[in-house]
Amino acid sequence: MNSTILSIKNLEKTYPNGVRALKGVSFDVKKGEFLVVIGLSGSGKSTLLRCLNRLHDPTGGEVLFENKDIAKIQGHEVRDIRKQMGMIFQHFNLIPRHTVLSNVMMGRLGYTSTLASLFGKFDPKAKEEALRYLDLVGIGSKAHIRADQLSGGQQQRVAIARALAQNPKVLLADEPVASLDPATCHTVMDYLRKVNQELGITIICNLHFLSLVRQYATRVIALKDGELVYEGDPKEINEEWFETIYGAGAKEVHVN
Amino acid sequence: MSYSFKRTVFDSVIFAYLALIALVVFLSPSEEQMLNMNYNFALAFVLVGVGCVVSILLNKSSKITLGQIIFAPSHKKDPSQTEAGFTKLWCWQLWMTLLVTILVGINQTKFSFYELTDPDGFAGAMRLFKGLASPNFGIFPLAVLKIIETIFIAFMATILAIPLAFILSFFCAKNIMTSRYGFMLYAFLRTVLNVTRSVEALIWAIIFSVWVGIGPFAGMLALCLHSVASLAKQYSEITEAVNEGPIEGIRSTGAGFLQTIWFAIVPQVILPYVAFTIYRWDINVRMATIIGLVGGGGIGTMLIKYQGQALWPEVGCIIVVIAAVVWLMDTASAYLREALK
Ligand SMILES: Nc1ncnc2c1ncn2[C@@H]1O[C@H](COP(=O)(O)OP(=O)(O)OP(=O)(O)O)[C@@H](O)[C@H]1O
Ligand SMILES: [Mg+2]
Repeated sequence: MNSTILSIKNLEKTYPNGVRALKGVSFDVKKGEFLVVIGLSGSGKSTLLRCLNRLHDPTGGEVLFENKDIAKIQGHEVRDIRKQMGMIFQHFNLIPRHTVLSNVMMGRLGYTSTLASLFGKFDPKAKEEALRYLDLVGIGSKAHIRADQLSGGQQQRVAIARALAQNPKVLLADEPVASLDPATCHTVMDYLRKVNQELGITIICNLHFLSLVRQYATRVIALKDGELVYEGDPKEINEEWFETIYGAGAKEVHVN
Repeated sequence: MSYSFKRTVFDSVIFAYLALIALVVFLSPSEEQMLNMNYNFALAFVLVGVGCVVSILLNKSSKITLGQIIFAPSHKKDPSQTEAGFTKLWCWQLWMTLLVTILVGINQTKFSFYELTDPDGFAGAMRLFKGLASPNFGIFPLAVLKIIETIFIAFMATILAIPLAFILSFFCAKNIMTSRYGFMLYAFLRTVLNVTRSVEALIWAIIFSVWVGIGPFAGMLALCLHSVASLAKQYSEITEAVNEGPIEGIRSTGAGFLQTIWFAIVPQVILPYVAFTIYRWDINVRMATIIGLVGGGGIGTMLIKYQGQALWPEVGCIIVVIAAVVWLMDTASAYLREALK
């Protein structure tokens, strides 16, 4: 159970414009854990997640996914890795003009040949599964509504279902609740926890609010200016750590 | 680039322009001298140089030139100086340039009240008008046949241009061609399309009428080529403005290049694409009516034939047919585009 699924070693990312967003970050991710990444705006959280599923190319270091270095792979190997790592985003990133169901089916694109997918021909089982995942996140009844007619929280749940349709081993979540109100925010986090606990999918999630971190994380890492400054139990984040991560004089805000 | 550089260049070009015109007026050179490009360019170059010196000297002695007014950043401008007034150097500069340019324009276009009010010329024009105003509908059936040809020239040009422009547009969008080779292809295609577009469809029609012979096929090819270049540019600009979020969303599922285009980009761009395409069809109908003037077939060829024989009532009939069809297509296209919003 407690085997390592991802091992990040000395990960570096320098953007073409010269910004060093990650300066040698190393940590392990255990199978089945709910790892939360915290840090100030601009500390490199989004960059980190995108280097894991290779939406961005790391400029140095290693990313071992099930003991295979994926930091420099190319082409179809990259797509193969992305299939195994679902991702959800702050702004949901659904296709607004498509139905909810069709959006979830897009999670199967990596498993479908280009030609078949352009003609909308997915594996017949895919639709059943898509509906099942929509039920799992509690919006099965909205399957045939256009995605842009849903509320933010509902859209994020569709995004979770799309990621689940990929049948992923890891789910990356980049500030999944940052554009939601506090109540909706908890609904979405609860579904993420459900995915984590019931389906056993490893979650790596960027969050802003420490109260959420304490509530949902099984482990926390903190980034500051592209460097790892904290790694440990969410309950052990005290005043002192808080000041190192967020700078002296920072005050904690609560979401209820 | 510093603003003082721009200012100096601007002032000196204006100076050289005015000085050259003054030279032409006062020295009234022969045609041979006017056509001596090497000499004239050298002269212009020297005058620009002189202008530079004048501009720098004027600004050194804290006179405000027109270039200063235009290019100086606002914190360097003295508000009392930017107000227009007869005592201001830059106002004189502006009015002088404008006045001289208008005078040159009158000269260049051989503007003449005498010709405009010449009774013989006017009577001729009135005869033509009368002919046009009493159209000979005897040729109406032929005109209808020819306008149908014209409409199909426009239709085929648009229909054939759509898939070509559609495919090209993705290779001309900066946000898709992100790799290094991709960027080279992007730059190459953009240049080719810009050049193609800057050559008028009429010129393409002349080229194609030599290639495939005079007739509707040449006109269609000319319009098609021009449409591909224009549509590809408009399509790619729409593509460059798409929301990146869905693209990331689709890529993160492990989708390939074509799948990403089809599922993340196409849904965002399809409506504006259709709107631009209908608009292009509209332009093509109009262009197709005149492309016949240079051998591109359709009603234009018929028009030029009757015009050559000064058969004004027949020309009048053709004009009525063209106007009716263009108006109809125009209205239909506007209506469609509105409905698609
Ligand atoms: N595409 C990019 N090109 C250049 N620089 C970038 C790019 N994306 C991010 N950066 C820079 O990298 C640094 C880290 O950005 P990143 O988005 O990873 O931070 P973050 O922790 O996710 O912040 P936030 O909480 O605001 O989302 C920032 O300084 C940012 O300006
Ligand atoms: Mg971020």
